[in-house]
Amino acid sequence: MATSRKVTLLSSDGESFEVEQSVAVESITIKDSIEEGSAGNPIPVPKVNSKILAKVIEYCKKHVESAKAEDRVDDEDLVAWDADFVKVDQATLFDLIRAANFLNIKSLLDLTCQTVADMIKGKTPEEKRKTFTIRNDFTPEEEEEVRRENQWAFE
Amino acid sequence: MASLESLTEDLLVRIYKGLASDGDRKSWRLVCRDFHRIDALTRSSLRVLRVEFLRSLLANYPRLDTLDLSVCPRIDDGAVAVLLTSRGSPWAFPRAASSSLSPPGRDPLAWTRGLRKLVLSRSTGLGHHGLEQVIRACAYLESVDVSHCCGFGDREAAALSCGARLREVKMDKCLGVTDVGLAKIAVGCGRLEKVSLKWCMEIGDLGVDLLCNKCVDLKFLDLSYLKVTNDSLRSIGSLPKLEVLALVGCSLIDDTGLQFLGGGCPLLRVIDMSRCNGISSCGLISVAKGHEDLVQLNASYSLTECSSILLRCFKDLKNLNAIKIDGARVSDSAFKALSNCTSLVEIGLGKCIGATNLGLMRLVSGCVNLRVLDLTCCHSITDAAIFAISDSCRNLTCLKLESCNMITEKSLYYLGSFCLLLEELDLTDCGGINDTGLEYLSNCLELSCLKLALCPTISDKGLGHIASKCRKICEIDLYRCNGIGDDALAALSSGCKKLRRLNLSYCSDVTDRGMEYLGQLEELWDLEMRSLFNVTGVGLMALAAGCKRLADLDMKYCENVDDSGFWALAYYARNLRQEAKLVHLNKVTVEGFELALRTCWVRIKKVKLLAALRFKLSSDVRETLHSRGCKIRWD
Repeated sequence: MATSRKVTLLSSDGESFEVEQSVAVESITIKDSIEEGSAGNPIPVPKVNSKILAKVIEYCKKHVESAKAEDRVDDEDLVAWDADFVKVDQATLFDLIRAANFLNIKSLLDLTCQTVADMIKGKTPEEKRKTFTIRNDFTPEEEEEVRRENQWAFE
Repeated sequence: MASLESLTEDLLVRIYKGLASDGDRKSWRLVCRDFHRIDALTRSSLRVLRVEFLRSLLANYPRLDTLDLSVCPRIDDGAVAVLLTSRGSPWAFPRAASSSLSPPGRDPLAWTRGLRKLVLSRSTGLGHHGLEQVIRACAYLESVDVSHCCGFGDREAAALSCGARLREVKMDKCLGVTDVGLAKIAVGCGRLEKVSLKWCMEIGDLGVDLLCNKCVDLKFLDLSYLKVTNDSLRSIGSLPKLEVLALVGCSLIDDTGLQFLGGGCPLLRVIDMSRCNGISSCGLISVAKGHEDLVQLNASYSLTECSSILLRCFKDLKNLNAIKIDGARVSDSAFKALSNCTSLVEIGLGKCIGATNLGLMRLVSGCVNLRVLDLTCCHSITDAAIFAISDSCRNLTCLKLESCNMITEKSLYYLGSFCLLLEELDLTDCGGINDTGLEYLSNCLELSCLKLALCPTISDKGLGHIASKCRKICEIDLYRCNGIGDDALAALSSGCKKLRRLNLSYCSDVTDRGMEYLGQLEELWDLEMRSLFNVTGVGLMALAAGCKRLADLDMKYCENVDDSGFWALAYYARNLRQEAKLVHLNKVTVEGFELALRTCWVRIKKVKLLAALRFKLSSDVRETLHSRGCKIRWD
C-alpha cells in the first residue's frame, strides 16, 4: 500500500520537503501527477516558494492527522487551529490563496478566501481600498450611479 | 505586494461569495471597476425596488437566476414590453437605459436565458399580455409566483401555461382563476412539482382532477380554502410522488375522502388538514395507518375529540415530528398515548379542552425531544406543569402560554434554569407574571421573540432585566402593558440592538424621551404605537431620523403629533413602503397629510386614513397615489 510512502516536494526556490504521500495527495494537483506517473522525484512545485510550501504542508499534515484520529478530534478544535493558522500577514495570506488554488486543495482555498472576506466585512468601500491598496478607477459620474443604485434600486 | 487585485478573477469571485450580507456586497461593488464587474457576474438574485432601474440592472446582471419584482411598483404590460425589446428606448424612463459601466455589445436580454425564478406577487398592474411575453421570453423559467394578484383569471393562467419548463407555480389569491384556467396550466406545464392555489375559490374538483392526471410529478399541493370535495381526494390519491398536501379550511371534505388518501400517495410526509370541520378521528386514522413515514400532521380546529385510538396509531409513525390538535378535547389517557411518540419535536395543544397538569406531565415524560409546544388558552395549567415541561424538555425553543393566567414567576424561574435554548416565549395575557419573573427569564440568553401583551403587572424594571442580558431579542410585544414607560425603552435601546419589531400600543406613559431612545435602534422595521398621546412631533422626528429601516408603522390615535413630526416622517423614512396607518392624527392638518403623501407615494404601498379626509384630500393626490399602486383604506 502506498500510504506510508514518502515523497519529496521541491519548492520554486529550490528547497526540498519530505512528506508522507498521504499528506501530499491532499493536493489534487500532486495526486493527479503521481497517479499519472508524470511526477518526477522530487516533485517540483513551481510558483510556490519554500515559506508558503512549508505552511501548506503544515496544514495538510494537521488535516490528515485529525481525519485519522481514533477519537475523532473535535471539530471545534480543528476550527480553532484553522483560525490560528490564518493569522498571518496579508501578503502571506494571498500567497496561500494562490498556492491552494494552484495545488487544488479545496479546504485550504475555502478557508483562506473566507478569511479575506471576513477581513473586509463591514468596511466602507474606501476602507476596503485602503486595506488592499486598490485604486478607485470609477469616474465621478459612474461612482454616483453605483451609489444611487445601491441606495434606491435593489436589495 | 499585498494587493487584492493581484489575485485572479476566479479567486476574487470566491472571496466575494464569502460576503454574506447585502451591505457588504453593495460596498464591494463600489470599490473599483473590477469589483463592480465581479458583483455583476456573480450576483444571482435581485429584488428590485424601483422600475426606473430595472432595465439597466437586468442588462448589468446577466447571471441572475432569481428576480423579485414584488415590491417594485408600476410593473405593468408597458414596462414588460420595454424590458424585452433588445434595443434601448431611453425615452421610456427618465434614466439612461444602459449604464456606462456595462461594456458595449453585451446583449441586454441575456438575463432572460438565465432566469429560473420570477416573483411577481402583488404585481397587480401586470396583465395577461405582459405576463405571456415575459414567460415566453424566459424559456428556462422554473418557478413563478403570482400570488395576491387578485385580478388574475383564466387568461393569465393561460399565459402561465406557456412556460413548459415550469416546475413551481404559486397562484394564491388569484381569485379569477377557474377550472378552465387550471386545466390550461395542467396541460401546458406537465413538469409541475409544486402548485399552490390557496383561496382560488373558483377552482373545484374538475380542475384538480385534471391537474392530478396531467402532472404526475407533483410533490407539493396546496388547495387550502377551496370548495373541493372527496372527489378531489380520490384524484389526489393517485399522485405517486406527492409529499406535502395542504387542505386548510376545506370544509366539504370528510372521512370518506380521507380514506382515498389513506390508500394512495405512498410518499406522503406532511399533511395539513386544519379547520376542516367535516373530518373526524376516523378519517385521520385511515391516513395515519396508510402512511408510516408521516412526518407532520396538522389537524388544528378540525377535531372536536381526539380519540385514544387515533393517538395510539401515532405510536407506529416512527418519523412523526410534529402534530397539532388545537381545539380538540383530549383526555389524560390520550396524553399517555401521545407520550409514546418519542420522536415528536412539535406539539400544538392550543385551546385543547381537558389539558391538565397531569396530562402534560405524562406527555413530557415521554416526549423529551420537544422543541415547540403550544399551550395557548390551556387555562387550567399551573407552575407544576411548567416545571415538568422545563425539566424534561431541555431543548425547548418555543413555548406559547397565552392566557394561561395561573402561571406565576415560578414558571419563569424553571424556564430560566432548565430551558436555556428558549428562543420564543408567548406570555400574552398571563396576569400572574411580574418583574421578578422577568429577572429569572433573562437567563435564557437565546431569547429572540417575547410577547408580553396585556400584562399590566410588569414594569420598566422587569424589562430592564431582559434588555440587559438577552441581546438576541428581535421582537417584543408590549401591547397595553400599562406599567411600561420611557425607561424600558432606554434599556431596550442599549441592550437589544437587533430589535426589529416592537408593539407599544396603549403604553401611554411613553413620551418623546422614549421615542428618542427608540431612534437608536437602527434595525427597527415594524412599529406599532397606537394611542401614545404623550408623543408629539418632536418624538416622531427623533424616531424617523434614527430608524432608517422603518417599513411598517401604525400610529393610530397619536393625537398630539402635528405637522412637523409628520413631515419628518415623510422626509426621513425612506423605507416606509409597506404600510402606514395614519388614522386619527388630529393635529395634523390636511396640508400636512398631502405633503407627506406626495413625498412618500413612490414608496408606500398601503395607507390607512380617516374617512373624513377623503373629501378634504385633493383629488389629484388621491389619483396619483392610486396610479402609483398605493392602496388607500378609509377608516
